[in-house]
Amino acid sequence: MISLRRERSVIPGFGITLGFTTFFLCAIVLLPLTALVMKGASMDFARFIQVITAPRALASYRLTFGASLTAATINIVFGFIVAWVLVRYRFPGRRFVDAIIDMPFALPTAVSGLALTAVFAGNGWIGQYLEPLGIKVAYTPIGITLALTLIGMPFVVRTVQPALQELPKDVEEAAATLGARPVYIFFRVILPAVLPAVLTGFTLAFARAVGEYGSVTFIAGNIPLHTEITPLLIIIRLEEYDYAAAAALGCVMLAVSFLMLLTINLLQHWGRRRLTGGARA
Amino acid sequence: MSITLEQVTKRYQGQPVVNDVSLEVAEGEFFVLLGPSGSGKSTLLRAIAGLVDIQHGGIALHGSDVTHVGVRERGVGFVFQNYALFRHLSIADNIEFALRVRRMKSADRRARRKELLKLVALEGMDDRLPSQLSGGQQQRVAVARALAHKPQVLLLDEPFGALDAKIREELRRTIRVVQRELGITTVLVTHDQEEAFALADRIGVMNLGRLLEVGEPHTLYARPATRFVATFLGAANLLLALQGPDGIRVGSTPVDATGRQAGPAAREHEVVAVLRPEEVELAADRDQLATRYVGRATVEEVQFTGALERLRLRLLDNLAAIQHGADPAEARIEATRTQPEQRALPLRPGDTVVLGARRLHVLPTPLSSFVVHADDDDTARALHADPVLATLAARMKTRVATRAGGDETAPQSAAPGVAVLATGADAPARVGQLLRAGANEVLLLTGRAELPRQLCIYWMDNAARGATLAVAASLLRHLPAEAICVSAAPAARRDARRAAALRALLDARSEARAAHALETRTELLAGEMPQALTDYLASLDTPLLVLGASNAAQATEMLEGILRKLPDVPVLLVYRETP
Repeated sequence: MISLRRERSVIPGFGITLGFTTFFLCAIVLLPLTALVMKGASMDFARFIQVITAPRALASYRLTFGASLTAATINIVFGFIVAWVLVRYRFPGRRFVDAIIDMPFALPTAVSGLALTAVFAGNGWIGQYLEPLGIKVAYTPIGITLALTLIGMPFVVRTVQPALQELPKDVEEAAATLGARPVYIFFRVILPAVLPAVLTGFTLAFARAVGEYGSVTFIAGNIPLHTEITPLLIIIRLEEYDYAAAAALGCVMLAVSFLMLLTINLLQHWGRRRLTGGARA
Repeated sequence: MSITLEQVTKRYQGQPVVNDVSLEVAEGEFFVLLGPSGSGKSTLLRAIAGLVDIQHGGIALHGSDVTHVGVRERGVGFVFQNYALFRHLSIADNIEFALRVRRMKSADRRARRKELLKLVALEGMDDRLPSQLSGGQQQRVAVARALAHKPQVLLLDEPFGALDAKIREELRRTIRVVQRELGITTVLVTHDQEEAFALADRIGVMNLGRLLEVGEPHTLYARPATRFVATFLGAANLLLALQGPDGIRVGSTPVDATGRQAGPAAREHEVVAVLRPEEVELAADRDQLATRYVGRATVEEVQFTGALERLRLRLLDNLAAIQHGADPAEARIEATRTQPEQRALPLRPGDTVVLGARRLHVLPTPLSSFVVHADDDDTARALHADPVLATLAARMKTRVATRAGGDETAPQSAAPGVAVLATGADAPARVGQLLRAGANEVLLLTGRAELPRQLCIYWMDNAARGATLAVAASLLRHLPAEAICVSAAPAARRDARRAAALRALLDARSEARAAHALETRTELLAGEMPQALTDYLASLDTPLLVLGASNAAQATEMLEGILRKLPDVPVLLVYRETP
């Protein structure tokens, strides 16, 4: 007998759920973005170009995306190490460390910015020792990178951790019986297996860093052309009631972010099929 | 010898998982390590590969000691239960992994890979990813990968565990063919006895971290030495029989049997006999039996399994079966019959039949059943619940009977089984009575909650040595403890007695190894007995003393000396009267 009943799903109704998904996407993402682009387009083209290529704007792009990329790169290295330690070792206080990783998620970013400034300012706990060495952290791009690293770390740890957990121990043992040294095993067996997760972590950390505002404004010092990030520049334009210019800058950020995320996603997709398929480098 | 293991011991948190295993595997041999889960077989295999460290003993591959050599330098081929393929690499790259590590030229790698893929019948699969292959194919790739660097030893850890029955059989054949073709020394770990029989040149059976018996499949099946091997390799009915000077009898009927327990049989004593289900003969009455009569039974269950019919029978008038545990009324016999036998005498549940044994094999190892001696019900219950006795009875699947107090004063014929007593001030006196009444072994229990971790073995004179070691070996097959033979001599180095004591220990050690496949440690105590022994026992964590004696008076005196100082050490007294 042929059953005519469709398979039951836990959440009822494909129609309703898809409808909600579309609504959510429109309300939260598409509509505001369209509004942003419309606002940016409300000024004439020459003025648009002038706003987005102003020296102050250009410097802010460099800083925002440069610091975000650097921070995300630092994060994949140290985030990987943290995830490795949490997965592979059992030590007293492991649960505590595991919980503390999520702190940047919960903390208002302004608070972490304040805290960082207190520590790294010229008279701060650590800053006072770095200052004589000629290293200035607060109110420089280094400080900004530091703040962005801090808030991006949990993204990498939380994406790499499950991937490492799933990695069977016997695969490493197999490599060892086949004569591979630990370094070889790491780069040819472990890393390729968790690379997709690492890339995802990188993407998330980067996206978060580009959009970050609260923690950076405190430690950046906001010196135009030097330590002024694009989100801050947008706020400044808004405070001058120059909505069109703010929207124009927003459009640039939107475009660049979208391009970068798309690139990483494509890379990742390609990597899943190809790059990770080749210790044949 | 291709693989030589010398007293290999591995402990996790003080508990031995591999306990004093010595083994030699010959060049080109297919050796199967068989045992239930948790028997330490996988750990032993991983120790050979160098994947786990061992705490004691030595491992040699082809004559060179590799005990402290890392896994990379040992260069063995290892196949894991869950394949452990590199999922991000193609089949070709998986197989070439070991060659790439060794920086072999690309053309040579390619040639070797083609060769290996042909060997495991996976030609043309080079560019697939592991996830595109079936489980059986993945395991073939794993075998090819493990063989790529031409290892001299191939180790397989339950390689068929994750596969279904049909693929399993196919892969089993492949592995056997590959092994024959390459002539590579192979050790395979499994818990499946059918698999072991199908593949092995020799089988080693492990339980509780010990290697119990090693032998060719048919020898182990037909003439097992231990209870565990008898029941683990195929189905077996265990019967309690009596071995006397005139032969073996089950109940009142004498039977023919292969094997017998070693040692002088001046007194009749209880032994364990193995009756395989296919060796059980069933007939309507005693005259129709072609073999020796064992007893009457009722059919409880008839099961059709295709070629064979499987029956469960309950013995009626002879309570000798001990297979199904402590309650003698529950003694069951399992039998299988072929189609022609079935047609000759159709049986249904409820029918009564007579039962004969075509072939009965007496286990050469001692310890058959236990008899608890207690004055009142409370003591009897406490003794039954004692962890040492409960564990032994459960693991040996044997009978624990109870005898009410006062009986042992009456003169008796040989009391079958091991007498079990609660320890205490009057214990030595009661032991004396039991020995005079004909007991061969007496177990004194303390009610201590932990199982013994060390078995301290001491025999008071050489006449008792063989029996003491045999009993200790039997005990160790069911308790995961360390075996330590002790002897005492004065501390002075030049004393002649010291040399004699040392020689006795070494003799005992080689006897234990040769006769019982039991690895022991030896300890020469300084001082005089029983003081030295008492001090040594007190220094151990949770010991059990196995005391051998051939003189009842001396034995009770010794017991008294020890129990006065250490009332909480359980003792197993082994008594062999010298004729």
